[in-house]
Amino acid sequence: MFLQQLITGISIGGIYALLATGYSLIYSLLDFSNWAHGEFAMLGAYFAIVFANMVGLPFMLAALLGVCGGALISFLCEKLVYRHIRSTGAPNMFLMIGAMGLSTIFQQVANLVFTGQYRSFKFKLPVSTIEIAGAYLGVLDLISLVLTAVILVFLIYLINKTKFGLNVRAIACNAGAARVLGVRVDRSIASVFLLAGSLAGVAGILYGMKYNVFPTMGNIGLKAFVASVVGGLGSVPGAIVGSLLLGVLETFVSGYISSSLRDFFSFALLIVLLLVKPSGLFGVDVQDKA
Amino acid sequence: MSDVIHNLSMEEKISELEGKIDYLEAKVHALESKNPVLEMQHVEKHFGGVHAIDNFSVKIEQGQIHGLIGPNGAGKTTIFNNITGIYAPDSGKIIFMGEDITGSSPHRVAQLGIGRTFQNIRLFSNLSVLENVVIASGMDATYNLPQAIFHSEKYKKREKMLNDKAMNLLEIVGLQDKANERANSLPYGHQRKLEIARAMALDPKLLLLDEPAAGMNADESLELVDFVRQIRDHFKITILMIEHHMDVVSNLCDYCTVLNFGKTLAVGTPTEVKNNPDVIRAYLGGNE
Amino acid sequence: MIEAFNNINNAVCGFLHINPYIQGVVVLVCINVIAILGMAVLTGFTRLFSFGNAGFMAIGAYCAAILIVRHNFNFLIAMVIGAALAGFVAFLLGSLTLKLKGDYFLITCLGFGECVRVLLNYFKKFSGGSAGFPGIPSYSSMLFSVICAILAFFIAWRFIHSKYGRNLTSIRENEVAAEAVGINAFRYKRLSFTFSAVYAGWAGALYAGYMMYVVPTNFALNKSIELITTTVIGGLGSLTGSVLGALLVTLLPEVFRSLSNYRMLIYGFAVVLIIMFRPNGLYGYKEFSLKRLINRLKGGKAKTGKEAA
Repeated sequence: MFLQQLITGISIGGIYALLATGYSLIYSLLDFSNWAHGEFAMLGAYFAIVFANMVGLPFMLAALLGVCGGALISFLCEKLVYRHIRSTGAPNMFLMIGAMGLSTIFQQVANLVFTGQYRSFKFKLPVSTIEIAGAYLGVLDLISLVLTAVILVFLIYLINKTKFGLNVRAIACNAGAARVLGVRVDRSIASVFLLAGSLAGVAGILYGMKYNVFPTMGNIGLKAFVASVVGGLGSVPGAIVGSLLLGVLETFVSGYISSSLRDFFSFALLIVLLLVKPSGLFGVDVQDKA
Repeated sequence: MSDVIHNLSMEEKISELEGKIDYLEAKVHALESKNPVLEMQHVEKHFGGVHAIDNFSVKIEQGQIHGLIGPNGAGKTTIFNNITGIYAPDSGKIIFMGEDITGSSPHRVAQLGIGRTFQNIRLFSNLSVLENVVIASGMDATYNLPQAIFHSEKYKKREKMLNDKAMNLLEIVGLQDKANERANSLPYGHQRKLEIARAMALDPKLLLLDEPAAGMNADESLELVDFVRQIRDHFKITILMIEHHMDVVSNLCDYCTVLNFGKTLAVGTPTEVKNNPDVIRAYLGGNE
Repeated sequence: MIEAFNNINNAVCGFLHINPYIQGVVVLVCINVIAILGMAVLTGFTRLFSFGNAGFMAIGAYCAAILIVRHNFNFLIAMVIGAALAGFVAFLLGSLTLKLKGDYFLITCLGFGECVRVLLNYFKKFSGGSAGFPGIPSYSSMLFSVICAILAFFIAWRFIHSKYGRNLTSIRENEVAAEAVGINAFRYKRLSFTFSAVYAGWAGALYAGYMMYVVPTNFALNKSIELITTTVIGGLGSLTGSVLGALLVTLLPEVFRSLSNYRMLIYGFAVVLIIMFRPNGLYGYKEFSLKRLINRLKGGKAKTGKEAA
């Protein structure tokens, strides 16, 4: 039972991590919380549903298109909306409010087009549980876990060992300096949004496979936000740790205490943690030069 | 300040006078005991591995204009930030008018009587010129919340006092005609003056000026020199200022301290310091 | 006593020929106005963003409801206690969380709001759980609500136009400079937060008296988000703008009844468009002034106040 809960917890934590890392990347670059991030996942999932269930494409292809869909939406939001808001010199909070508006729009559009009916992928795994060490573990959870681990390792490599990652980190530190040194800042920002959107798409599809696809599933974005804050806004490793922590905590609270108090414990953890470590686990305290 | 007293009731006149007597007593005491207005003793501050301030000590006497000069990154603004409580020193003491203010919070330091301006002018941009100064006189606004809501007599009197005092200050610095303009619509030099006027609204005994002549040409700098000297003479305060422009320093400062890499290089009158070989080598060679 | 108030209300409404439907709309407008005024002080004037003020509305609503229904309190006293309790909780919470940076503070408020909702759902015996708390007498008559709204506006106006409001705006404009002129930023932020919570609690208590029945989902995250976006739409830094925003947000859905399916969609678009093209909202930094309006109409020198925030 314990092992089962743990695997489930880590697996949902992995899904949160896919969202939270993209979220943290965007935050580290632009200093704003992309409230519409969960909707990228939701739309990616719906894209996949359309291609898989309605157009009838094979599942893997549909999933890939779903991921691309998430990336595309993310890119468009940046290009059409966020970039414009930034150009007016508005404070970062306004970007967040713009994101909130976008989030509402996406949810409403999904609701109108697809209705609130729960959708699930026609594709089913051949084996749904396997037995390891006396516990029945969900195969989907295991696959999800492995897949997210692979993706996250790749992501960390991308950020730390490639030129692209270097550019991103430079911009996160000081966009003006980076620009002067020849980094194509707007290009890099657009690329990050594409990347974050793809991650969100994967997260949405995995979530849709485990649970269902519905217009308000973007609310997992909120969990990702909490996980990012716990890990320290702007820190990718922090986002991963925070997500795993949150996923495991949620699952155990649901399983052993009460599922209705699940959110209470998550938020209580958040508040207590921030009181002890005001910038999150891996966050850096940045002080303005007076 | 004396011309606004006649607007208050007898009670308030008495309490206002009592306050003035306290203030004068403290001043007399300070003068008698020859306490320096500001004394820093062996102050140290590091950030990570960097020694921003290294064993810094200084004594500034009443009425002095003391210059703090040195190349960029020498630690000058950090010293200001330690005095005004934005940072707390890692070791050492800061004594103001005989009171230990080491590590006090910024608003407390301001309330005790240290006003300051900032290297990158920090005005309340979207508020009017008058409001900028009125806000700084907040300590005189001693009414409470119910009195504010119901516009009690005390509230009305205090608000009038604040406004009058602020207009007074604006007149002294020559900005009274711009009282209702938005602060960031003023030309740069006037914004500087406004920042100084605002700091003066605290009735400070010590004024910290962080590169007041920054961004000014030769004419404007001259004007500023006169302005600062007038402020010192009119309000009888002590001034500590960070400056790069050597002609401003020479014309204005009674004494100065030269810093390099957080360490004191030399102390003395501007002439003495200008001729100090260490200083020449480290700093004055390539100055504008 | 409730009966007496309601009778007066019915008499006045009858005299002015205001039918119950319009009375209901007016009450909703007043409730939103009070909640938004609180947000205006917190977000518009102090630039603190809270995603949990719906939680304070819930505290005001449930506190008033429980005191009236279970303990037979007079409804006026119950409302005052509800609002005061909300303020007290904000005072405690703010003492802990206001030291955090903006984004972090925001999320602790969000967490708080959600915790309130979850706890209200969980402790069924106390609050009625997810089924809600029924049986609240109808004390939010139109007349009473309008009086509350006017009073709330009056207090907020006086508050903002005194040293309190000035100090809050100075913190918004430049916190470091505010501290340098003797303002204890932490204490004032906490005051601002408490003020917004008291108003939210007040609005919540009125809401309870209008709906006669409260459910935790009335005060979910969506409500907090709605409060913030309405404040921004109305214009940060303007009390009259906020009132206008509240009016718009409450009235437009009524006007576009037929489009009710698209209501939220239109709302989302409105938020995005306003943030993109008119980030200062309807009024931004300026209060409605009869003088200015007359000048504009006369074609005289108009003082426009468009500046980037």
